[in-house]
Amino acid sequence: MNRKLKKLLLNWKILLLIIFVLGSMATLYFRPLTYGIDIAGGVAIVAQTEHPVDSKTMELVVDSLQRRLNTLGLRDISVEAQGNQIVVVKVANVTMDEADSIRSVIENQGVFYMEFDGVIFGTGKDITYVGPYQIKPDNSWAVPFRISKEAAEKFAKLAKGKAGWPVDMFLDPPVNSLLIVPKSVYDVMNSTAFNAQAPQAPFLIERIHKALNISTITYTGQSADEIKRLAAGRQVVLVDVPQSLYENLRALNVTVKYVPRPKGADDRVLIKQVLGLYGPYSLGEGLANGEPQTDVQISGSAPDRVTAEREARTVYTVLKSGSLPVKLNVIGMQFISPKLGENFKTQALYAGIGALVAVLLIVYFHYRKWRIAIPIASTSLFEVIIILGIAALIRWNLDLPSIAGIIAAIGTGVDQQIVITDELLGGERVTRITRRGSSLRRIGRAFFIIFASAATTIAAMSFLLVYFVGTLKGFAVTTILGVLIGILITRPAYAEVAKYLLGEE
Amino acid sequence: MPRGELMTKKKRRNTPPIGGETRTRKREMLRFLAEMEPKKMILYPLAVFIVALILVAVNFPPLGIDLKGGVVVTAYGISENPDELEKWLGGELGVGVHVEKFTSVSGVSGIRVYAPSGVDPLKVISVLKTRYPDAKYTHSEVQPTFGELAKRQGIKAVTFAFIAMAVVVFLFFRNPVSSLAIIFSALSDMVIAIALMGIFGIQLTTATIAALLMLIGYTVDSNILLTTKLTKRKEDTIEEAYLSAVSTGFTMSTTTLGALLMLWLISTSPTIDNIAIVLIFGLLADFMNTWIFNAGVLRWYLSRGVKA
Repeated sequence: MNRKLKKLLLNWKILLLIIFVLGSMATLYFRPLTYGIDIAGGVAIVAQTEHPVDSKTMELVVDSLQRRLNTLGLRDISVEAQGNQIVVVKVANVTMDEADSIRSVIENQGVFYMEFDGVIFGTGKDITYVGPYQIKPDNSWAVPFRISKEAAEKFAKLAKGKAGWPVDMFLDPPVNSLLIVPKSVYDVMNSTAFNAQAPQAPFLIERIHKALNISTITYTGQSADEIKRLAAGRQVVLVDVPQSLYENLRALNVTVKYVPRPKGADDRVLIKQVLGLYGPYSLGEGLANGEPQTDVQISGSAPDRVTAEREARTVYTVLKSGSLPVKLNVIGMQFISPKLGENFKTQALYAGIGALVAVLLIVYFHYRKWRIAIPIASTSLFEVIIILGIAALIRWNLDLPSIAGIIAAIGTGVDQQIVITDELLGGERVTRITRRGSSLRRIGRAFFIIFASAATTIAAMSFLLVYFVGTLKGFAVTTILGVLIGILITRPAYAEVAKYLLGEE
Repeated sequence: MPRGELMTKKKRRNTPPIGGETRTRKREMLRFLAEMEPKKMILYPLAVFIVALILVAVNFPPLGIDLKGGVVVTAYGISENPDELEKWLGGELGVGVHVEKFTSVSGVSGIRVYAPSGVDPLKVISVLKTRYPDAKYTHSEVQPTFGELAKRQGIKAVTFAFIAMAVVVFLFFRNPVSSLAIIFSALSDMVIAIALMGIFGIQLTTATIAALLMLIGYTVDSNILLTTKLTKRKEDTIEEAYLSAVSTGFTMSTTTLGALLMLWLISTSPTIDNIAIVLIFGLLADFMNTWIFNAGVLRWYLSRGVKA
């Protein structure tokens, strides 16, 4: 008897199941599941372009939106295009106010400024054309663009004789605001760090004050009241300072934005993010002669082609952002507070356990044998573990529809295990001599049934995957995943166990 | 699977077949189905289908806000008379709203406020906050244009899924009668589920569309079981094969129904609740369509084949 058990355990179908279950558990341990915003909390915003656009424009819209949303200082913003008209923005863990500011960024055009020597000489409207960017074999790149005549004239006057001076470009900068920054950040802003080749030019801190009315002060432990007085009605932007200040200022009814330091970002990167600053670009000789020129270009060089491509693309997107050919309208919005999400998560867990217990008890009720009920319920449990393990592995964000998909897969899984069990038990009426052959055939027939229904489910769900925008994708993915795991791993293993337990001689 | 050890000591040869007694009882209970006339087995479910079709035509389930457009604010931690709240809130906002109350067995309770699209959900929340500052709020908002889009996609998804299912079923059975019977069962399951949604006022949302799609999978499961058992039957008579199939089907349906009921009881998420309830409707319909209608068709068809 022990030999038989050993043979069962060494059966490759069982081994495969054990490997997958253990592998999934290890995956779940080392790489915890990530959740969709309807569970983890956050906001999902669905926006639609005014009219259908081609894939290139769509890419531009998504890219530009991503850049502009990044200046809000929120973590993990995902912007995704779906089809030729829909953009879905998902941000985890935000407050209701933050959700609202995300919405307004989406619905408004990007605000783009070109600034020189503390004077704004052009906005998004002044960029009349952006040419395709070029990358040369030596990894230098250039983005040609055209500016309006007025901007060109204004710029020519400003820039006369100032070759090497910094030209700044801003996308959605925090105009009219008071910046509260750590000392190190202040020092970088108040230095030649952003001066291109002209140490004599005014420092960044001065340029943004003059051009955009952004004043910067060092955080030295000022109270919220004091900051409110200094802001004098302007917006306050807190950069990498204690978060308690944010709550205190909000309590005083001050418009305030909090930008934490992104992981691993140095002061320079942080400053650029806060200000939506691109550049500064060093002013070329040819533009410093006082003659107005409308066809200009921004160029640079990079250590390798990939970086060159990325830099050129960034400049291209930013230049285009102020004058995107298409406007976005928010057509759907869902907000879930993080605390509630937590609630849903435990509920989903309880519901899952409840459903499994229900399966166990009902199967027991039907067969009156724990040795059938326990393997059926535990196979379903293993199936859930493997689905979750794979979801964690491919970093699938588990949302409520995905959980519904898992339920669907488990439901059909239990059905199919019952088919296998009954097919095996069905041999009881046949004489003992024909029993073995009959039993093999019966299991074969069970698998015909299983493959036919699996094929149908997968065929039906694939269309959901292709044709549905947004929320129901997760449902299709987990259903298909569950069905595949079922036919490839758990069902064959269960059949072996059932054969053993139900006395296949 | 070490738990196999539990029974390895026993001599199996002398034990009666596993679950034999309950299985026999179950078969006896279901025998009345096997004794029904095939003609009746086909006609009754057809009549139900036609009634359901009429119900769907005159009383289509209401569209949820994700298909129609609108605003829904959910507040957790409020238990209040919804009618009274509806009046008060409507007065404060100056628009007609609909308030619904919900509670789960795990003790979470709250309200859902439905307002037409164009109402600012944040305003609804700020009004509610004056009375319930401690409740937790979530909101979602859908413009009618998005609803239109979702609706079009829903119809497309269901249609294509259905066609895909039909093609696969044809490929597996290569027999027009048994394939068409399966396809009709699936269609009837869906129509009956939609009719029941209309009767109970359950909204058609993207989630319930997903449930209808899920139904295709479940329907096909039981129908394929029946068809395979009857057409690829080797040892039993049609009646015996049918009895064996229907008792397996009964076990399957009750197990799934039990699991779904549990899900429905525990969850307060409208997505999961609605999916569970629509599946329950569909599975009940499926029991009739598979084990009465489709079985009737197959028995009629197979017995004709014997005569010919």
